[in-house]
Amino acid sequence: MGEIRRLVLDTLKPLEPTIIEMADELSDLGGIAAVNISIYEIDRKVENAKITIEGENISYPRVLDRIQELGGTIHSIDEVVAGSKIIDDSATLQD
Amino acid sequence: MSWFRDALQRAGEYDRLVNIGEIARRYFVMNAFDGVLTIIGVLMGNLTAGVREPRIVVSTGLATSVAMGISGLWGAYLTEAAERERDLDELSRYTLTDLNDTRIARASRAAVVAVALVDGLSPFLAALVVLTPFFVIGLFPAVTWAYYTSLAIALLTLLGLGFFLGHVSRGNVVLYAVKTGVAGVVAVLISFLLGGW
Repeated sequence: MGEIRRLVLDTLKPLEPTIIEMADELSDLGGIAAVNISIYEIDRKVENAKITIEGENISYPRVLDRIQELGGTIHSIDEVVAGSKIIDDSATLQD
Repeated sequence: MSWFRDALQRAGEYDRLVNIGEIARRYFVMNAFDGVLTIIGVLMGNLTAGVREPRIVVSTGLATSVAMGISGLWGAYLTEAAERERDLDELSRYTLTDLNDTRIARASRAAVVAVALVDGLSPFLAALVVLTPFFVIGLFPAVTWAYYTSLAIALLTLLGLGFFLGHVSRGNVVLYAVKTGVAGVVAVLISFLLGGW
């Protein structure tokens, strides 16, 4: 089975713990080389965060567990890259 | 010692999540202040009523301290648990998930216990400190000396609380100490007038 190398998740999380703590915790998981979290909407008690994770072998169940443990919820999986290398989506005529 | 380091790390994490330190500090000062003023009332009541038997002062003082401790513990536990549960429910509605098994929920539960302990122990210990002279009554030539020493300790404790508040607010520590100390003097004077009358 090919390894997941990139995951882009749309999540909703409470303001605390902060994205600094969340990035720190996610990057501690095995198989993850880098984590990027950016906030694109903020509410009184929660915020929407786009989480991009890259690594050699990302375990989605463990990522999900850790996000839920920190009070977050995954709205959608916006991008997945698996295999022996990372590729971006190709431009098509429709684009 | 690694469990101790882990516990400290977790306490720090919980504190960041739900602000345990700030609320515990507030409860500590408020209830220690309460405890000292209440015990001033007990002491002045006994003094003006002519009680010269240290055993009676100790038993009334201890009973009052224990009651204050239980009141603090129980009251804070119930109110804090209700408030925190409400906050978590509200947050759950926002995130549309059950947050009961998350770190925030565990931090909230820890906060309830910590705040209840602070709320219960602070008036109890403050009252106990003020009563200390009656536990070593043999050191005093007369029981009235123990009363005066206890009242002096009470005023010093109030001043200490004032200093602490001043330190917290990063304001004028002396001014805060004067404000808390005056409360003690007022309590002594009013109790004295009521007892004399």
